Amino acid sequence: MLEIKQMTSGYGPMQVLWDLDLKVNPNEVQVVLGANGAGKSTLLKVIVGILPLWSGLLELEGHDIAHMSVTARVKRGIGYMSEKGIFPELTVEENLRLGGLSKQKSETREQIDSVYQRFPELKERRGYVAGGLSGGQRKLVGIGRSLISQPKILLMDEPSSGLSPRYVSEVIERLAELRGQMTLVIAEQNISFLKIADTVSVIEGGRTRFEGTVADFTNDDNLKTAFFGIE
Amino acid sequence: MLFEYAIVGGILLGIFYALLSVGLNVVFGAQKIINLAHGDIIMLGGYAAWELYQTYNISPIISTVIVVPITVVLGYLLNRVIAPRLAKSSDPEMLSLILFFGLSEVIEALSSLVFGNAERSLPVTSIPTAPLKLFGQAYPADWWVSALVAIPLLAIFLLFLYRSSVGLQVRAVISDSVEAAVAGINARRISGLYFGIGFALAACAGVWGVFIFGGVSPTEGPAITVTAFAIIVFGSLGNPIGTLVAGIIFGIFYQLAQVYVPSWSNLVPYVLVIATMLTRPQGLFGRKQRIA
Repeated sequence: MLEIKQMTSGYGPMQVLWDLDLKVNPNEVQVVLGANGAGKSTLLKVIVGILPLWSGLLELEGHDIAHMSVTARVKRGIGYMSEKGIFPELTVEENLRLGGLSKQKSETREQIDSVYQRFPELKERRGYVAGGLSGGQRKLVGIGRSLISQPKILLMDEPSSGLSPRYVSEVIERLAELRGQMTLVIAEQNISFLKIADTVSVIEGGRTRFEGTVADFTNDDNLKTAFFGIE
Repeated sequence: MLFEYAIVGGILLGIFYALLSVGLNVVFGAQKIINLAHGDIIMLGGYAAWELYQTYNISPIISTVIVVPITVVLGYLLNRVIAPRLAKSSDPEMLSLILFFGLSEVIEALSSLVFGNAERSLPVTSIPTAPLKLFGQAYPADWWVSALVAIPLLAIFLLFLYRSSVGLQVRAVISDSVEAAVAGINARRISGLYFGIGFALAACAGVWGVFIFGGVSPTEGPAITVTAFAIIVFGSLGNPIGTLVAGIIFGIFYQLAQVYVPSWSNLVPYVLVIATMLTRPQGLFGRKQRIA
């Protein structure tokens, strides 16, 4: 589905990613773990095209997407949910409508209704300005918008950021409902997201340190120490 | 009676001032920059009205329609030229101030060369001339006609912004252009279009500024920019509805000052900016967001 080999990139002259590799299979949930500053967000930004790829390979379904614009990548099926994930000045309904820009009005309406069915609390707040919602509800708006755009692969940048543990659990539960229905890449430092992961990548200092299944990850003593604090 | 006169006159003029300022707020929304050449675009709208009337006997009402497509295209093209440079700059705000200051100077110099330094005015016979009689007072024709033209223009603009799919995309780009791009919106194109609409609104106001300001001259741009800036800060940067309300409030205050303390009336824009900054920096319609 998504293949990255020897990716290098960064901000201005500052290199953040150093020959990074990543492979994501269709309908797989992959959690990209790493500490603050490891390069997780940078990786997602390069995939969606916000940051340029300096060198390396970036392919979606076997097609080179490295030189495509952000808009072209989105049209090809890449969805991206930033840490913010919403347009705070727009209402919940307007945020969701933006997910269906490339679709017929009636199709978008159906999709929005299906999001409301999945997340009833959003239906109750459809006319509310998204910036006034709680952190958890804002994440649901972001997830809902991504679902309406029906991407082939959804990249999520720290969906737990700024959330209390209660809301983190809620977001994880909601994402668990999507397992097997779409390809998800979740950049996180919160290991709770491993509950819904099929595979895990660990990034450290802009390099891939580990790639494998959740079982492989939990059996790796060094990683256990680094992420679980277990000696 | 004077008080009623100031209030009604202030509302009529305030609607014009809303039109005069909303374009500056639109350009700010499109690119997060203050267009220091805003008053000069208004001045060009005034010259367009003057030229169209003098040469082709075209009514200012028709000129208001004519200037729209021309200025939308001009604004769009200008945005496509400057936006990539601003995006690459390490200090885009400062670069934009310098760029638009330069543009303002160029427009002023070229206008002087083409139209001369003398103030040009249009005869009041170019518009319906009957004054508006209300509450026993008569209000000049240019006041109510400019308000009557501004109302549908502003209504169309607001309908576009809040009721159309493109308007929704515009508001998404204003909110966060990067987030908009990853939502599949062609942020550069939308931003360019909105920038052009800002220019068009300014030019439309310029057509009527010839009457309200008593004429058009190459040097009037900076003073108009200051007035428009005061109004958009008062109404909240980036919020067009705030600008409309602020324009009307400004008009009322300005007229009250004109009636009771005329020699102080030109201070109104500056007092408005300072008072807003000290008491409510986010402006009348600025909203604080929930953090978590």
